[in-house]
Amino acid sequence: MPSPVSTISQHQSALARYCRTGSYEPIPGVRHRHVIRYRELVYNVVEDILQSAYPLTYELLSSAEWNDLVDRFLSEHSCRSPQVWRMPKELYDFVKKEGTPLLSQYPFLLELLYFEWLEVELFMMEDKKASHTSKGDAASDALVLNPEHILQHFHYPLHRKTAAQISDEDKGDYFLVMFRHPGSGSVQFMDLSPALVYLVEQLAIAPVRVTELAKEVCDALNVPFQDDTLSDILTFINRCLDNKLILGFKA
Amino acid sequence: MVGIGFRKDFADQFLNSTTLHPDFIEVSPENWIGVGGYWKKMLYKALDKYPLFTHGLSLSLGSPDELDLPFLKKTKQFLKDTGARLFSEHLSYAKCDNAHLYDLLPMPFTEEAIRHVSQRIRQVQDVLGDRIAIEIVSYYTPVAPEMDEIEFVNGVLELADCRLLLDVNNVYVNSFNHHYDAKAFIDALPLDRIRYIHMAGHEQVEEDLILDTHGQPIANPVYDLFGHVMSKLNDEVPVLLERDFNIPELSELQQELDRLASIKAIKRNTYAIAG
Repeated sequence: MPSPVSTISQHQSALARYCRTGSYEPIPGVRHRHVIRYRELVYNVVEDILQSAYPLTYELLSSAEWNDLVDRFLSEHSCRSPQVWRMPKELYDFVKKEGTPLLSQYPFLLELLYFEWLEVELFMMEDKKASHTSKGDAASDALVLNPEHILQHFHYPLHRKTAAQISDEDKGDYFLVMFRHPGSGSVQFMDLSPALVYLVEQLAIAPVRVTELAKEVCDALNVPFQDDTLSDILTFINRCLDNKLILGFKA
Repeated sequence: MVGIGFRKDFADQFLNSTTLHPDFIEVSPENWIGVGGYWKKMLYKALDKYPLFTHGLSLSLGSPDELDLPFLKKTKQFLKDTGARLFSEHLSYAKCDNAHLYDLLPMPFTEEAIRHVSQRIRQVQDVLGDRIAIEIVSYYTPVAPEMDEIEFVNGVLELADCRLLLDVNNVYVNSFNHHYDAKAFIDALPLDRIRYIHMAGHEQVEEDLILDTHGQPIANPVYDLFGHVMSKLNDEVPVLLERDFNIPELSELQQELDRLASIKAIKRNTYAIAG
């Protein structure tokens, strides 16, 4: 005979299971007509948060596809985060691990989910400080990269085209740096060439002067160092100083 | 003191005008722990102006699962960082079988449940180093009850030796949904444990069911019940207006705060005259 504690646990578990699956098995004392409200409340909270975190995916999928995805996620996945704003990351993890027929229909879906999650994560993540000064010379002083950034390689142009317009013909290599503007807190994107990815990676290690940076990039890519190269990189650096991907100069 | 739940939906307008001017604000730590950037700036801008009360959502005190101690420690750090005056949580569960549900489910009203949840409240109080306030939640169906709600609540308050967050709207909603006298319920509570009061709006969705939506203005019968509560209390208890959906003009929220303050003032004046 089960102990009272386990009986209570069983009732609690049965109610929680119903809220996640919508499949009701009678629980002593429960009014079936009203317990439905709990299923609605739980489903609506989860669906609402997912819709907020993944607006592009929501727009891409039909209502039936979206609802089926949410339904599967809620019933099959155990949400681990006590913080509801972090929960959407678990939908990406769930689709990556468990798969869905939608991935055949939309080969870029997993990347789209990740792209959308990264935007949420960057917007919300804890502050990262980097000591710097705004006074300096881009041509001669060591540059300080905004540490609130993510470098990402995608295979589809998720940031350039609406999801519904993306096709297999778009498949390629798309390098992107996503970063949080230190003033507004908004998340911004920049397309990068592989050379600029390497440049940003070097800046992320430590503040570097643009001349050293240019030489490092040329060495890595095995191309001769020329005045044009320095000029091109300086143009990129000045753009990054304007949009705050580069915060300023080493203090 | 009369406060307002600090919501992202109206944070910008709230912080950049004087239309809504509460005595304090309340947030749920879950929504702010580990958050930086824009929202951290907004929170600390609010904290420059207002004292903070906190109201947890995810500790799931009534859960059969293990208590999430790492998250509790993060909560403790948040309370310290923000100088929060009070931490409250719910007499319910929001996690089961290792899955968060992000809503408050009703506990079975049983002796075993009293012992279980009380032990966990004590555990939380030990970690936080302070007594917490527990909210009686609204519920739409009982679950395997072996006793009345009041017996369950009072059993927990005594065994856990915690404070009470009295959500007056919840008592009203529960009294309607489960056919009891709200004033008699309140009179049967250990009023000396009340440390904090919540007020909110609700919506009647069926002939015999009211939902605790926080999406409407406070209903008149709930104001009446609040007056009854205040007539029983000797101390100045902070009162919070919760509004999570259908956010109206801030001036309308201020009118609700003013009405709550005026009911409290009647109580204060009554005592002043009596004294």
